[in-house]
Amino acid sequence: MKTLLRLGVLVALFSAAATVLSAADGKLMVALMPKAKGNAYFLSVKAGAEKAAKELGVELLFDGPTDTNAAKQNEIVENWITLGVDVIAVAAENKEGISTALRKAQKAGTKVITYDADALPDARSFFVNQATPEGIGQGLMDEAARLMNNEGEFAIITATLTAANQREWMKHIEARLKSSYPKMTLVAVRPSDDLKDKAQSEATALMSANPNLKLIMAICTPGVPGAAEAVKQAGKTGKVKVIGLGLPNENKRYVHEGVTDSVILWNTMDLGYLTIYAGTALAKDQLKPGAVSFKAGSMGTFEIKGDNILLGKPFIFNKGNIDQFDF
Amino acid sequence: MKRYFRELSVTAALLLVLLGLAVLAPAFYQPQPLLSLVTREAPTLIVACGMALVIICRQIDISVGSQFSVCSVCAGLLAARGWPLPLVVAASAGLGALMGAINGGLVAGLRLPSIVVTLATMVTLRQGLNLVRQGEFVNLPDSVQWFGLSQSAGQATLVVSALVVLVVIGLALRHLSAGRQVYAVGTNAEAARLAGIPPQRVTFLVFVFLGALTGLAAIMNIVQSPQVQPLSGAGLELKVIAAVVVGGVAIAGGRGNLWGAFAGLLLLACVSPALTHLHIEAYWEKAIQGAIILLAVVADGVRQRRGGK
Repeated sequence: MKTLLRLGVLVALFSAAATVLSAADGKLMVALMPKAKGNAYFLSVKAGAEKAAKELGVELLFDGPTDTNAAKQNEIVENWITLGVDVIAVAAENKEGISTALRKAQKAGTKVITYDADALPDARSFFVNQATPEGIGQGLMDEAARLMNNEGEFAIITATLTAANQREWMKHIEARLKSSYPKMTLVAVRPSDDLKDKAQSEATALMSANPNLKLIMAICTPGVPGAAEAVKQAGKTGKVKVIGLGLPNENKRYVHEGVTDSVILWNTMDLGYLTIYAGTALAKDQLKPGAVSFKAGSMGTFEIKGDNILLGKPFIFNKGNIDQFDF
Repeated sequence: MKRYFRELSVTAALLLVLLGLAVLAPAFYQPQPLLSLVTREAPTLIVACGMALVIICRQIDISVGSQFSVCSVCAGLLAARGWPLPLVVAASAGLGALMGAINGGLVAGLRLPSIVVTLATMVTLRQGLNLVRQGEFVNLPDSVQWFGLSQSAGQATLVVSALVVLVVIGLALRHLSAGRQVYAVGTNAEAARLAGIPPQRVTFLVFVFLGALTGLAAIMNIVQSPQVQPLSGAGLELKVIAAVVVGGVAIAGGRGNLWGAFAGLLLLACVSPALTHLHIEAYWEKAIQGAIILLAVVADGVRQRRGGK
């Protein structure tokens, strides 16, 4: 009984503290969750988010699992519900897994949006779509085709075989391949577990197993420098081309050495910026379901398709422009 | 013969796979790519040697992956600051030994279960590293890659040093009294104590030794590319524990040797490139590796029930 009482007092104290926290000078609290908080990609998202939070005068919380961990994401959402944040913005590691927690947040009155990787549609109001899977898939496939003169063998290095984003991109890469490039063959898809070291080993094996390989396409960020290092060490610079989804800073060296031809990505800082603007507008009732466009501060107006706020076309970094970017 | 049944059966399985590849995918044996692949496994082998000692001593360390990451990043940062390579190597091994000493101190000194202690250090170290580095790659000076040697000389150096470490520890484990003490403590700590062997000190030292080897392994990995990914080493603990167990080291301690662990490591490491060469879908990779581990554990279970040691 005594323990119960103590527990009760503790809970009461905690919720009181949470209320005080959220009510502090009436500032909106916007919580942003990456898939993994140590990931450089999400850090550049965070940089953009910070800029937006400053412009809007909202308080930004940034927390997530240290490495990709779907269960840990749920835990953090639960904590945020207790804390009483106004907006939760999540890049979902597991679509179904996170949705239960997000629905609970919505029930508690928190506005929920997703960015980078979506949850189930009923668990959030909007998805800030960094690039449609079609855009990415087609962009990668078209770039590969351009470099291979529309013919020959290529291979893909992915994150894990079950990662939601990568699977979605793969679907569109394969669709584009089938519809537009009959003389090109995808000979293998290998997982790298998001490790540069493993991507390097995988690329080495891919080249020796497929002597006619003309290009390696890495569709997770650590995979691109990993594949490039393998190509360089195999002495196949130029013979086996490397492209992929990656971060400019991690690939500059290989792009300048001519090992990697193109690095494809969207502007990650813009993604963070737009996410915070959209989340805040949602909490202030300035953005409602059914809207067809949305204006985000200095970045101008974005198209909304259904419940997807579109960031725009992917961006291709190459020898000519990569030095202008620093993330 | 019967005594080394587990080691021999793993070696046989490995030879069978290698033979199968020779017939079905001779391209696997092109010297340059094969050397690259073997070199990529050299750091793992070093960690597996240390892990074998810890497991023989009836302990486990699941923090090696995090230790490896911390050492990689610190070594990378020191090298980037212009520290001479021998000093960087010493610092990395020292840092590893220090982390091993923390694990060993908690396990041996406070008699805490090693799985819990190292689970805690695994998470703490990984989190700490992420907090400090935020996932950013460390760029290394050009002089670090391959120790400043040519690529093939660098690769040969790494492979040969890994093998030397394996042979030296493997022989020491069998022929030095320190090595036999590890078996004694792993078999029965109380009996070892009565025989005049200090079990807590042996336990502490195997953790320190594993840490130091992990620090060395981190160096052997970062010299293979010009950038260090802070996530590097994630999952390493599973890889080496699997290799050691598949190689016939009993998870309950007291039994096994490094030769078996070596064969186990090669067998598991073969799976991924073998599938690539046989053009089999990658979905099978983890399933096959899992089946190999299961088979090894079942073999151990059957042995034990039959009363074998």
